[in-house]
Amino acid sequence: MTIRRFRIDVQKLVIVGVLIIIMVVLSILTPKFLTYLNFNNVVMQVSLVMLAGSAVSLLMISGNIDLSIGSVLAFTGVMHAYMSKHWFPTGLSIFFTILLGGVFGLVNGLVVSKLKITSVIATLGAMYIARGLAFIIARADGGANITSGLPGNFEVLGRATVGPIPLHVLIVIAIVIVFIFIQTKTNLGRYAYVIGGNRVSAILSGVRVDAVLITLFVFVGLLTGFCGTILVSRIGSGVPRIGLGFEFDVIVAVVLGGTSIYGGEGSVFGMVIGALIVGFVANGLNLLDVQAFYQVVFKGLILVVAILIDRLIKEKLG
Amino acid sequence: MDEKLIEIRNLSKYFPGVVALKDVSFDIFKNTVHCIVGENGAGKSTLIKILTGALKRSEGKIKYNGKEYEPHSTRDAMNAGMSVLFQELNVVDQLTVGQNLTLGVEKSRFGFIRKSDKAAQSSEVLKSMDPSISLNEQVLYLSVAQKQVIEITKAITSDANVIVMDEPTAALSEEETERLFEIIKGLKEKNVTVIYITHRLSEIFQIGDYVTVFRDGQMIGTRSVSELSYCRDEVESCAELIKMMLGKVVVEHYVASTVDYNNEVLELTDVSNNKLHDISFALYRGEILGFYGLVGSGKTEIVRVVYGLDESEGSIEIQGKMVQVKDPRTAIVKGISMVPEERRTEGLFTKLSIRENIPIMNMKTVSRYGIASKKKERQIARKYIDEVHIIARDEDQEVALLSGGNQQKVVVSKCLNAESAILLLDEPTRGIDVGAKEEIHNIIRQLSSEGASIIVFSSELPEIINLCDRIILLYDGKIKSEIKNGEDIDTERIMHIVTGGKGDIGAD
Repeated sequence: MTIRRFRIDVQKLVIVGVLIIIMVVLSILTPKFLTYLNFNNVVMQVSLVMLAGSAVSLLMISGNIDLSIGSVLAFTGVMHAYMSKHWFPTGLSIFFTILLGGVFGLVNGLVVSKLKITSVIATLGAMYIARGLAFIIARADGGANITSGLPGNFEVLGRATVGPIPLHVLIVIAIVIVFIFIQTKTNLGRYAYVIGGNRVSAILSGVRVDAVLITLFVFVGLLTGFCGTILVSRIGSGVPRIGLGFEFDVIVAVVLGGTSIYGGEGSVFGMVIGALIVGFVANGLNLLDVQAFYQVVFKGLILVVAILIDRLIKEKLG
Repeated sequence: MDEKLIEIRNLSKYFPGVVALKDVSFDIFKNTVHCIVGENGAGKSTLIKILTGALKRSEGKIKYNGKEYEPHSTRDAMNAGMSVLFQELNVVDQLTVGQNLTLGVEKSRFGFIRKSDKAAQSSEVLKSMDPSISLNEQVLYLSVAQKQVIEITKAITSDANVIVMDEPTAALSEEETERLFEIIKGLKEKNVTVIYITHRLSEIFQIGDYVTVFRDGQMIGTRSVSELSYCRDEVESCAELIKMMLGKVVVEHYVASTVDYNNEVLELTDVSNNKLHDISFALYRGEILGFYGLVGSGKTEIVRVVYGLDESEGSIEIQGKMVQVKDPRTAIVKGISMVPEERRTEGLFTKLSIRENIPIMNMKTVSRYGIASKKKERQIARKYIDEVHIIARDEDQEVALLSGGNQQKVVVSKCLNAESAILLLDEPTRGIDVGAKEEIHNIIRQLSSEGASIIVFSSELPEIINLCDRIILLYDGKIKSEIKNGEDIDTERIMHIVTGGKGDIGAD
């Protein structure tokens, strides 16, 4: 076994270990932790992060970032409410909403690759634009939120269950598996690593960098659009204020899972564990009645500690 | 007069897998112009980086002004009086000349910058060197030569005793070069020692007092310029110097390839851009063509045009058909692959394994419908590890951990996997030990015998002479001469042409 293969395994092992430790600690600290209801809650919270995180992992592996996903989530969510109220049956509206997310992703991808603007700046701009549009659409419907007049089946996507498991969780699991496949077994996944690891080498090796980046941004957009439909469906109304800070929850999960901010390494699986860690910690803090503000501080601390630990592991083994 | 300023003893610098400097010892005397020459990769820049605090030495000692010298940072070195003029100029275009001169040494009160007497001193010095530069001009509008003057002024007024100049004439015209030489001669009188790095042998004789020759990380010899046989543009030999720089020039290793002169695989006609002038040449099937010239002669520019990285006028034909190579992907599709100059930053994905690096130019060989097969990847990696003799634990080893020679073999494998008809190699064995060098050369010969057509761009003359069937000499972006390789090759004439002497092609 080579050191590198060993190191990747160690990294994943470490975060799974951390997750287990957190779960054990929390179950000792409070009896409310190890209940079906609680787990259900956590998974519901975390599932959207994992859904968007699947595509964002690949994007960050390629060395790019998308700060707009929280706003796009809100925008697509509001659009779904608007479209299903005024224009299309729910099913069709879901379809178009996802496409709309994809269009946003396409624009981001084009701005980054053709206009050569860094992804931080490009998606920062998109973040404000999408948020603004969300409010505009909601306002166009009449009130601050789109709460009335929605079709009867609007909440199905967000609230239906298949047996004991929520429907959307099953969908998320399926999509995560698809993206793990993409990341590990496809050329596209390889190109993401290569572009993130050494962009110049990638260009000189003939990798179609622009096409790959645009594809990755489109994936992020599509999945974010999907998140939007699920969230507003769960809430039951089109609220433009949702998703605030969502992009950072996703980024924290991705980085905790082993993806470097600079790209070139990481994994979707790692993101899943990262999302669970953040989810359980937030959940635990809730159960222990810690105030919301402290939770935010905690999230920030987790991120910094995660990066430090990652660096330590690298130095020890590299 | 012959007082020692810097004494270097047994200096060595190791990087993982590479010996950049080996047991270097020589002295630099006060108030002299000490030239340092050598091919690319010989160790010149490593030495300079150690002297100026950018790198730490691995072994050895340096004495500066009689005291032990070990700078921990470039700031340390600057405070000790060591300053550098790099090829990439260190001036701030947006500020004025006056502001640049006081950059970093501003006098300030409560954070507000005040006019100081350093400013008065700098403007005096500046005027003495080039009166045409006004303090209020924005640096953006100055020429390269004038920017250099500003840097030199800064160095002098910061009380530097040593100014290192790295290939300072690379971007200068004849006239500006003359002016620079006057300034350098004047520096000696101002108690400044100049360390002058250059490729251009004639310059050594124009301003140098001493010359040290580096080759493959070792100091080959240090001579006072007056001892050396004279070398002027027109006629004579820099014979001894050349011999020191290049080592033995071995012609007997050259083996002619089987070239099909009826099959022209590549032709460039009148290719020009802002660095190249009317480049025209042809490449035939089975041939190994070499391009030789010094830094800035246009080698890299030609590679970039053929590989689709730069635009140009003129035409490029592959197999007789005009093509537009707009990016490397197109080049690869059209059958051209390239081994880039900097393997670590341009040729490899250092965080990935050998297995993941090799197929990247041609993923079709390991994947179907976009889905990669790990099994095929392993097969292909093992095949090349075998064929090309890559020394590694296994195909999963991270490429960053390989030695320079083995890393280059991985890059070559990438190109082999691309199965191209035309292979471009830019400085293929730079910084690689002798053993691996020869192995890579053998791979190149093997490829050409299998029908591939190869262009080698190199600043190492022995390499060109060992490998190439035809050699094209470049100077200043133009083709100066085309030589067929053989028994009676005249290396001195070659050196003469690439350092600016008269060639036999085109106008001078």
